[in-house]
Amino acid sequence: MNNFWVALVGMTCITFSCRYFFFSKTVPFELGTKVKRLLSYTAPSILTAMWVPIVFLGHQTTNDDFITSPFLIAGLVTVVLSLKIKNTLAVVGLGISIFGLLKVII
Amino acid sequence: MSTSHIVIARKIFISDLKTINQATIDIFPLALATVPWGVLCGSLAINVGLSPLQAQLMSLLVFAGAAQLAALTIIGAVGSLSSIFSSTFVISSRHLLYSAVFREHVRKSSLGLRCSIAFFLTDEMFAVTCAYMEKHKIFSPIYAISSGVVFYLIWNISTFVGIIAGQHIPNIEHLGLEFAIAATFIAIVFPAIKNKSTLISVISSGLSAIVLSIFLKEYALIAATFIGMLCGYLTNDKECIDE
Repeated sequence: MNNFWVALVGMTCITFSCRYFFFSKTVPFELGTKVKRLLSYTAPSILTAMWVPIVFLGHQTTNDDFITSPFLIAGLVTVVLSLKIKNTLAVVGLGISIFGLLKVII
Repeated sequence: MSTSHIVIARKIFISDLKTINQATIDIFPLALATVPWGVLCGSLAINVGLSPLQAQLMSLLVFAGAAQLAALTIIGAVGSLSSIFSSTFVISSRHLLYSAVFREHVRKSSLGLRCSIAFFLTDEMFAVTCAYMEKHKIFSPIYAISSGVVFYLIWNISTFVGIIAGQHIPNIEHLGLEFAIAATFIAIVFPAIKNKSTLISVISSGLSAIVLSIFLKEYALIAATFIGMLCGYLTNDKECIDE
């Protein structure tokens, strides 16, 4: 791609600006208690909005059936594991292994 | 420097080391789970015609998995610069929220520190730093940056692996590597559900993510997030009144 360097510099600026924006001293804006409480739901909401489509719609990318989709089954198993096991690494590792296993079987 | 100064400096040094150690332990499983994604990013970059240097620079400078993958897909389809920039902005706009959350803790720091925290601010770094904040009731810049640096290193190493190995794995983008991301986020979200309002925010954001990604694909993520946040916020209000 001829414009690669332009794309790279542009993307770098965009991602950094989004991350830096509210750290800027020139942005005149104070967070009230209500906004702070609203923001406290940021992490669970956004992470869920990212994992749910992968688990429930992932079968569309690989042309599997919904019910037998490795994304769905392994995803739901990972949910159960995350409630039972405290160790994050174990949950993630087991979840991915089950997914891999299902990919081979189905 | 007097002896007492040295003792104090030593104590601070040791507690900093402990914080760095804790940050590394906390972010490590999350960083490991993005390895498949990093590999995918590296190999896809080579497949759409970037040089190995360009592919690595993307992870070194942009450092945003989802935005990088989207851009690579557009480059592969010979899309325009403006579509690359708009998708980068839409995908990265969630980081605006993260920077708003950290604002009050970071705002009075030096420019260098603010820039460093901003540069290393990712979904995973945000999640572990929030959990640390919840537990210790304090925002630790050392914790934030060291967890970010660990994540950055692993992301770039896995991109490198993708650049080297990915050329030899056919159809790597059809292996379902994105499941690793889903598993990571599940492992972060569910243990963090400790009250009704968080549960409601998770359920509503999940449901709207499914519905919205069918109707308005590009904005589904950010719209579903706002719906989830709002539902959580409104639920909390009722709980307060009940008590």
